Amino acid sequence: MTEARILVPVRESSTLRNTVAYAADRAIEALESHRPAIHFVYPVAQRVRENGLPDEADELLDRVDAWIAEDLGDHAGDVEVETAFVGRNEYLFNPGDYADVLRRYATRNDIDTVLLDPEFNPLGMTPLLPPLEHELERAGFEVEVAPVERPTRRFPIVRRAGLGQFVVLFCWSFGFYLLIGGSLSTFDLATGALSGLIVASLLWRISLSGFANVPRLLARIARMAVYAPFLLWEIAKANLQIAYVVLHPDLPIDPEMVEFDAAVWSELPATVLANSITLTPGTLTVDVSRRHFTVHALTTDTRDDLLGGTLERAVRFVFYGRSAARIASPAERSASAEAADADRTESAEPTDGENE
Amino acid sequence: MTPREIAIAALAVGGVFFAVVAAVGVIRLPDLYTRSHSASKSDTLGAGMALAAVALTFGADISTVKTVLLLLFMFITNPTAAHAITRAAAEEGIEPWTRDDEEVDE
Repeated sequence: MTEARILVPVRESSTLRNTVAYAADRAIEALESHRPAIHFVYPVAQRVRENGLPDEADELLDRVDAWIAEDLGDHAGDVEVETAFVGRNEYLFNPGDYADVLRRYATRNDIDTVLLDPEFNPLGMTPLLPPLEHELERAGFEVEVAPVERPTRRFPIVRRAGLGQFVVLFCWSFGFYLLIGGSLSTFDLATGALSGLIVASLLWRISLSGFANVPRLLARIARMAVYAPFLLWEIAKANLQIAYVVLHPDLPIDPEMVEFDAAVWSELPATVLANSITLTPGTLTVDVSRRHFTVHALTTDTRDDLLGGTLERAVRFVFYGRSAARIASPAERSASAEAADADRTESAEPTDGENE
Repeated sequence: MTPREIAIAALAVGGVFFAVVAAVGVIRLPDLYTRSHSASKSDTLGAGMALAAVALTFGADISTVKTVLLLLFMFITNPTAAHAITRAAAEEGIEPWTRDDEEVDE
């Protein structure tokens, strides 16, 4: 049995220390029959620039190393202990992504048991563990949640700029209420403030989690205001093209699936880009997996426009400012993609399921 | 007719035109993927222009604000629905139609 080889994903958490201790116990138990191995991996989630790991990741893995050495005590020499980073070349945003990188790592290292820290939750507020467990089990792993004592669940008192989020959310809902109500009478002001307060206190930790940075948010809104007319113009222009194609007696279409890796690095920009692609007639986002976009293009022209990267550039401008808009277009990037592929230590699984 | 009425009429006609184009597209185009292009987007512009005509009719009124919001939600939900449908199709393994298929068929 290979259950003596365990994979433990780690992140800063209150129960990590005990999970490490439990992993050590298990390894020591298995010692009689096999040479056990414990691999601690740190999934690197979101990064904007290539290279460069979060400092706390290095530091955390060092700490884990020290703990496990201490727990194994005399057996330290008999147990194989590894620490590693996974997911360095992609960004992870749902349980499936985490399961995927863990599965790839485990396959490479011949591991079939995953030990989860009950508080492992790099996604922040969204619960990760149950779906992650499910995904891993579906991928054929033995999954175990470390039976360690958990502290009473409570929210951290101060999350990053918590008050800013609260105020932003309150203003939004209050403003929206007044807008819809269409009057500024005392009654509306009072009920609006009350509703805003309720909404904000219920949801301030959930919505707007990514950006509580008010000046940056304002800058984004300003740039979004530039983007909206541009998008509208693109929509109108492309719609006329499609109307021409649809009404043309010969129906001059040449549909094809296009796949490319977009140079956007987190959820919101990826969502905006995907929606903009779909809104622009002639291109339709079929699937997005991390940065990998699968787009159905109706005609050759629309396909060229897409790979020309105008939209992508505009989305980058909105979210990252002017400098990011100058990154090469998908067409230019794919020219140098082969060289880059060879360098990748952890090659992504091919996602071109449609082309089989 | 005042210029405003002309604008309203133009927008309404445009809206109807794109809605018709969308309908024609759904009938003429060959497969699910290409059809959802037509259904989701010509429709977006069609509805957009119709709503713009509505907003213009109301003038500076609170209803205009609501119309604009309606438009905004449409711009968000329409592509999302199209995406959901095509993604489901792609996951079911439905092959997109290409030029080559046509030659085989006929």
